[in-house]
Amino acid sequence: MKTHTPNWVIHVENLSKQYGAGCAHCHKYTGPLHGNSQCPICNSVYACVNANFTLHEGEVLGIVGESGSGKSTLLQMVNLATRPDSGHIWYREPREQDADIVDLPAMNAYAARVFRNDRLGIVYQRPELGLNMRFTVGGNVAEKLLLANWRHVGNIRERIKELMIQTELPPERIDDEPHTFSGGMLQRVQIAKALSSNPSLLLLDEVTSGLDLSVQARVLDLIRRIQWEQQMTMLLVSHDLGVIKQLARRTIVMKNGHIVESGLTDQILEDPQHPYTQLLVSSAL
Amino acid sequence: MSDTPEQLYNFALIDEDSKREVRRQLLKAIALPGHQIPFASRDLPIARGWGTGGLQITMAIITGDDILKVIDQGDDESVNAVNLRRLLQRTTGIQTTVNTKAATIIQTRHRIPEEMMTRDQILVLQVPMVDPLRWVEPNLERATVMHGESDYGRMWVYMYESVVKAGDLRIATQYPVIVDGRYMMDTTPIPRWDIPKLHMAETLFLFGAGREKRIYAVPPYTTVEPLQFEDYRFKTEYIPGQKCQRCGAEDTFLTSHFVVDTQHANGGHWVSSCSDSSYCDKRIDANLTIQEANS
Repeated sequence: MKTHTPNWVIHVENLSKQYGAGCAHCHKYTGPLHGNSQCPICNSVYACVNANFTLHEGEVLGIVGESGSGKSTLLQMVNLATRPDSGHIWYREPREQDADIVDLPAMNAYAARVFRNDRLGIVYQRPELGLNMRFTVGGNVAEKLLLANWRHVGNIRERIKELMIQTELPPERIDDEPHTFSGGMLQRVQIAKALSSNPSLLLLDEVTSGLDLSVQARVLDLIRRIQWEQQMTMLLVSHDLGVIKQLARRTIVMKNGHIVESGLTDQILEDPQHPYTQLLVSSAL
Repeated sequence: MSDTPEQLYNFALIDEDSKREVRRQLLKAIALPGHQIPFASRDLPIARGWGTGGLQITMAIITGDDILKVIDQGDDESVNAVNLRRLLQRTTGIQTTVNTKAATIIQTRHRIPEEMMTRDQILVLQVPMVDPLRWVEPNLERATVMHGESDYGRMWVYMYESVVKAGDLRIATQYPVIVDGRYMMDTTPIPRWDIPKLHMAETLFLFGAGREKRIYAVPPYTTVEPLQFEDYRFKTEYIPGQKCQRCGAEDTFLTSHFVVDTQHANGGHWVSSCSDSSYCDKRIDANLTIQEANS
């Protein structure tokens, strides 16, 4: 029987990011063993140290960790919003057997902007980071289309309405302003905006934090449905193991800028190996 | 040498080093059409915001052989135009004119002359607000990055919002354009009527903002494309049947002014006339009487 092994989309190799010059003592005082990502001598912060992981086509990979563990920095480096100090983020276009492999941090600013608009979509925890509150909902969703050279208002509005229906938003509210929408609806607007350019990778940064449980469940259902229907590759950051459990097939656990454990989500939740993961799982359950 | 107070100043008022600095930035601006170049804006004997940017450019490029024309809102005789012309004339001693065709340098605010300008002329525009992205990104640092990355999506959303809210592209002034297919540029408060004159023109256009300390340029034969949609096209101001009351021109940008008439029920009436006063005068001088024009 012939099995199909999905290609990888993102391969992260020795990715590091630090804030501050660093000193000779940093390695002695930072990292998960010391429970600290900031050097007490020079105050440099090691946000991400030698991260390695692979994200396959159609897969949802969860990144879990406490606040300050470096998961959002890692996500922002993949989003090309933060430039790493060293390492590579290799990208391969999904569904293309002979696709070129590109090192994302090596791109120039213009190419990075075009790539970010065309191939990536991001949903933030706080809607004001992903949306412009002065524009209408339609205008916000239209931004990526306009950047991709859509120049026909009629066609743009049709596409926005399609996306609004897809994300369970009432299309008749296309010209309403975002501040008239609830928190859950704003997350759906962000998802509609992220999907507008048919991205090959969707980045989700704490998408359900701050929402009440019923709204949280609806947003998670929506993400799961989109992932299932479009076989979308997703990188999901959350400090909530419940969210990770529902969406991610594989999970990596971060602490003090380091990846301390990675594996299948079920395996990590049922048989955590690292003491920090054990603590995280026991405190969640 | 006469010891009149004006001649105690340097030629064109500001010192030669300052002029050289402005000229260096002008060269950079011409090399990068539409890109905003910072420059060290000098103090002048007029307030910032009254044309100091354009004035410094004119002072930096003017020579004793130049013939200068200064207009404000298309008018040669407005207070600002008269004051700037007098300052430049007194500090350089050069010849001034109101005839567009005769001028080698034209300093202007809010208008481009109606008459086609040639390759031997330079148009200097006074700019109040430099960055078209100011409407969508008030943070200058972030706007600079957006220009660097050609990240004009938000400005396009601004245009889209204009269509959604007003039913058409209702941007009356400071209409955004893309210069040479690369940089988005503010066209200064010139009316939409004048924007097509920037496209592939023979003339060099220099833009100076003294208050914001920025210079930019549109060199000759450069593409200048207004932002527009396939179903909502850029349009210039035009009212069917519009006509200048003085010269009868139907193809010029018009301004309205109130004429007092005690016999009239409302105490007077509004009339339209050419904004470019010298062009209007020229048409009348060419044996075209008002009656003939109106007939």
